[in-house]
Amino acid sequence: MDRMGLLAFSVLGVVALVVLARLLGFARRPQIEDAALAARLVAEALPGFRAAETAVSRDGSGALVAARDGRVALVRPLGDRFVVRPLQAPIVARAGGLLRVRPDEAMFPETSLDLGEAAALSWANRL
Amino acid sequence: MNWEAILRTDPVAIAIPVFVISIIIELVAVRMGWRGDYDWRDTGTSLAMGLGNTISGALLAGSVTGIALWLWQHRLFDIPVTWWSFALCFVVDDLAYYWIHRAGHRIRWAWAAHVIHHSSQHYNLSTALRQTWTGLFGLTFIIKLPLFFIGFPLELVAFCGGLNLIYQFWIHTEVIGKMPRWFEAVMNTPSHHRVHHGTNPRYLDRNYAGVFIVWDKMFGTFEAERADEPPRYGIIRNLGTFNPFWVACHEWVGIVRDVARARSLKTAFVAAFGPPGALSGETADALRAQWQAESAPPASPPPAAVPAE
Repeated sequence: MDRMGLLAFSVLGVVALVVLARLLGFARRPQIEDAALAARLVAEALPGFRAAETAVSRDGSGALVAARDGRVALVRPLGDRFVVRPLQAPIVARAGGLLRVRPDEAMFPETSLDLGEAAALSWANRL
Repeated sequence: MNWEAILRTDPVAIAIPVFVISIIIELVAVRMGWRGDYDWRDTGTSLAMGLGNTISGALLAGSVTGIALWLWQHRLFDIPVTWWSFALCFVVDDLAYYWIHRAGHRIRWAWAAHVIHHSSQHYNLSTALRQTWTGLFGLTFIIKLPLFFIGFPLELVAFCGGLNLIYQFWIHTEVIGKMPRWFEAVMNTPSHHRVHHGTNPRYLDRNYAGVFIVWDKMFGTFEAERADEPPRYGIIRNLGTFNPFWVACHEWVGIVRDVARARSLKTAFVAAFGPPGALSGETADALRAQWQAESAPPASPPPAAVPAE
């Protein structure tokens, strides 16, 4: 088999394994069920971060956690896990109760948080 | 034994079908309830990184081969290819791997190439194949060059390196708990390597071994897996995307950004060649020290003074 044939065969093998993983059900979408989970995820990811206030999106797709020292962190799912980012000069946009947050970081996706109008306004001002 | 014929083979290429079958077995085992986890998107990224690694390796290996060949031509000893030189080379190569791996975690320039392997929040056999596309640029291959100067033939070192890589495949699993005690004492195992992939402060920058865990015990970097503290896999700032190209180059981009922003030569040097996290104060050592300070029991109050009689 020549090199291009080997490459094509390898790509097919990769696709087959990924499809198998998908068919076997390894495709969960985790949700942030409550403030305690959001606070724990941030504490694990950011040592020394003491959660003081938390806002969880109504659909469980993300959360904002504020620390006692004023820092704010974003939690959002990635695949079947979560990622956490401390927010420093994030891009923030609000439309009613929907708050869109994007950390100042390449390739980090925007996160839409359904917080309700009052909470969205409050967190938008904070960020 | 025909060593020439053996060394002409590429053990990794031969092992690839075994890798694929093993991943399928692990997928089914985990589905049936064995310990472990998969995510199809994460697996796709890991396998894409493995595929890219073989392509970049084929494209870039020639330059290292040239340097190695030049050193071997100026070698100190004529080492024959036979059973004892194979055994010796395997052990010395594994020692070199330990230091290459340690440098890969302690120097940001080298970490930029190695971080790819740690960028999954999962720990399964597909993670073993999540390999760098820029290993050559990490420059840690320099640590292996003395082997050629000593006189180990190129094909022998390459063969031993291939076997080392194959050995490390099976230890990337949660399905296997602990191996027999004697094996855990000498060899790198799934348990030891789970620690290496953990981001828990206790586990950061521990267990660099390839095949023999004794190197970590000798050089003070060993940490045993604890039943009461399961590893949290990944990196300090887990990536926000599965995009393989970003996985491959994100730390290099970070170095360029930090060097460009540096206001002094010293800061620029630390940004490129200091430990990962040096600029933000989040090095492995700093995070461990912070965790130790937070988890240390409060100092007991001094005993009440007893009046002198």
